[in-house]
Amino acid sequence: MTGAYSTIAFDAARCDGCNACMVSCAQAKAGSDEVADSRIQIVAGDGAFELAMCRQCGDPRCEANCPAAALVKNEDSGVVDWDGSKCVDCLLCTVGCAYGGIVRNARAGHVVKCDLCDGDPACVKACAPGALRYVTTARIYNEVGQLEDLFVPGLSGCQGCNTELIMRHALRRIGPDTVLATPPGCIPGMGSVGYNGLTGTKVPVFHPLLTNTASMLAGIKRRYNRLGREVNAVALAGDGGASDVGFQSLSGAAERGEQILFICVDNEGYMNTGMQRSSCTPYGAWTSTTPVGEHGRGKTQDAKNLPVLMMMHNCAYVATASTAFMEDLYAKLDRAIAASKRGFAYLHIYSPCTTGWRFPSQDNITVARMAVETNFVLLWEFDPEAGLQLTHPVDAPRPVRDYLEAQGKYRHLSPEQVAHIEAGIDRQAAFIARLAQAGGAPPARPSFA
Amino acid sequence: MATVLEPDRTRPAFLVCDGNEAAAWAVALSRVDMVAVYPITPQSSLVEYLAKLVADGDLPAEIVDAEGEHSVLSVLQGAALAGARTYTATCGPGLAFMFEPYMRQPGLRLPMVMSIVTRDTLTPQSVWGGHQDAMSVREVGWIQMYCETVQEVMDTIIMGYRIAEHRDVMLPVNVCHDGNYLSFGATRVDLPAQAEVDAFLGVPNINWHAALDPSRPMAVDPLTGGAGGPGPRTFVKYRKGHCAGMQKALSVITDVHAEWARRIGRVHAPLVECYRMDGAEVALVTIGSMTGAAKDAVDEARDRGVRVGLVKVKTYRPFPVRAVVDALTGVRAVGVVDRSVSFGWDCGPLYQDVAGALGHAGLPLPSMSFIGGLAGADLTPGHFGGVIERVAQLARDGQQGSTVWLNEKD
Repeated sequence: MTGAYSTIAFDAARCDGCNACMVSCAQAKAGSDEVADSRIQIVAGDGAFELAMCRQCGDPRCEANCPAAALVKNEDSGVVDWDGSKCVDCLLCTVGCAYGGIVRNARAGHVVKCDLCDGDPACVKACAPGALRYVTTARIYNEVGQLEDLFVPGLSGCQGCNTELIMRHALRRIGPDTVLATPPGCIPGMGSVGYNGLTGTKVPVFHPLLTNTASMLAGIKRRYNRLGREVNAVALAGDGGASDVGFQSLSGAAERGEQILFICVDNEGYMNTGMQRSSCTPYGAWTSTTPVGEHGRGKTQDAKNLPVLMMMHNCAYVATASTAFMEDLYAKLDRAIAASKRGFAYLHIYSPCTTGWRFPSQDNITVARMAVETNFVLLWEFDPEAGLQLTHPVDAPRPVRDYLEAQGKYRHLSPEQVAHIEAGIDRQAAFIARLAQAGGAPPARPSFA
Repeated sequence: MATVLEPDRTRPAFLVCDGNEAAAWAVALSRVDMVAVYPITPQSSLVEYLAKLVADGDLPAEIVDAEGEHSVLSVLQGAALAGARTYTATCGPGLAFMFEPYMRQPGLRLPMVMSIVTRDTLTPQSVWGGHQDAMSVREVGWIQMYCETVQEVMDTIIMGYRIAEHRDVMLPVNVCHDGNYLSFGATRVDLPAQAEVDAFLGVPNINWHAALDPSRPMAVDPLTGGAGGPGPRTFVKYRKGHCAGMQKALSVITDVHAEWARRIGRVHAPLVECYRMDGAEVALVTIGSMTGAAKDAVDEARDRGVRVGLVKVKTYRPFPVRAVVDALTGVRAVGVVDRSVSFGWDCGPLYQDVAGALGHAGLPLPSMSFIGGLAGADLTPGHFGGVIERVAQLARDGQQGSTVWLNEKD
């Protein structure tokens, strides 16, 4: 028994009316090239294409209308199954459906409807512009929906902050046999460790120093290993503590292969203390210590690529992730948890900051998604066997201007600064692509051959 | 862990070794669960001995080769919060680098023993002994005990766990032994039997008060203080509790030394040692390994009829105000010899404390500060002879001079 199902999503803005989806469906389901035989129908609407197709409703009217029990919602797959042996061709189902999702097909001689092709829809594969997507994020709900949220309600993050989302999802997935370190920053700032005797976390939690998160966790983990107890040692840290003042302890723990899951929530600066620059702050960005004025035009250096540095430690697992790509994030979280039983696992999650990056609080996911769609942020993962692999390659990225214009912190950029950023994106993409081609682990020692 | 040693068969009853090796054996005898190490002169051989004891199975502990002293103490803090008995050693620049977690350890009320193999601080650049490192952290809230001999190094480390883990104390202990003179000076050292040490130390319960343990989840060290709600009084409660633990440590240290003498048969003065103070008119106050040469000088002066005695301070933090005042009551002048400098007062820090204790007790004796032994310089009986002469003059004329730098012409 599952609670949520995969589904086909339609983005009208991307649809160009090419009909490839209908042709592929007709071929797959009717052995025909006639779009009339397709169970998905794209129709010209008022200024945009519209979708006529079975929604696999949770409370299907077609099923309610059927006098013969030929239509039944399948609780495992979520598909409204049609059983031809019971159908009496009364067509009451077609009257009930508001979506044109079940219609009589002349060639078949009975009603037909989408069955999601057993989880591999032909139409989605045929859709070149990406207007159709098969959305499988329901698995997240199904797998972790029953797990306890290990943070209390009412953490006091800024409006629209995605970091709380990361915290709640990550910890419920990792589970209660955990010691959690949240070094100074937004995460304890919103009350996870607590104030004056109160706490916001249901697992053992503490503030390490900003500098020693990985070291303290190493001591805890080694102690429990020695006691024969399986306890997860987990960090939810910011980019400042990880990339700047805490980098030595992070690097040391990674080099020693301490069995830690270190999650770096990257909001590109010291956002909790008032939006100061960190080494993860991108080039050109306004921060409170890289202000814009007569002589200042934002940060003058490129961001440190911390996840690549961690990969060069040959950790058991390293990945980048984004809150706009939750399925990708979840898959990586699972692999990171597993890897942390063997060695050091590092997960770098980009988390746009509504307050510090200066964009409306409802736009957080939009900004996060644009970062990936413009290749400003690359989603990849690494383990020593497979090497680096891009998990969401973007071959035709959107112009980075779209991303920059969405945030107030880039409002001042000159054309030369934008050109610098554009060139940096190309360089980064090419560099990561070379690593992806190389495969395997980085060399343990430099080669002088 | 559960590895059972048969120490009385595998361990010698005595060794001829230096202070660093004696310290490592004391760690093994104390059945420490985890050590974290990073080498620094003159401590380096100590961590090498620890690594060797682990490799040979004499110390069945987890050993973490951390990437620096900051992480060394951080690893051990994490381990202690998960219940481990822990140890490390450092000095000088290493202690300075460790300062951030060092400052936090006593506030967490986490017991441990850490040796400071004392070294003078930079700069001037130097790798030699002096107390400037340990003295610079004297107000952080750790217990500090300074050793005179290699045997005392071994015994004090073991006693240190008993003191640190005492429920009335729950504070970390620095056992300080002088770089060069004690770290590398070899002598005969008697090892107590493992069974005796086991009975003496008992079963540790390091994290009964503050644990990072999923079986009893709690938030350790949430933000405390601020200007509203329960913040101010909560913060004060912790600070006062820390001070109370330090004061209670004075009697615990005394009791533990007495029990050590009873069980093991070796007597070490717990707070201060009075040497030839009977009928003394002038007194030297010393600390650490210099005391041996100073005692020789006292003997020599006594032979010449000078009524001089010596008070050695072993426990420096908490400062044993009462014991120091009692020891010096009856003399007419005091000379305090430091191996470090209090820059704010242009004197030695021990002098500052002694003068403060005497003033606090309404015993305003004429006193002078002597500073020597910096950066490995030798403090000989000759130097102390000069100190005795100067303090005897002070007893006669009451004219307090400014600080005397003993190695100024060496």
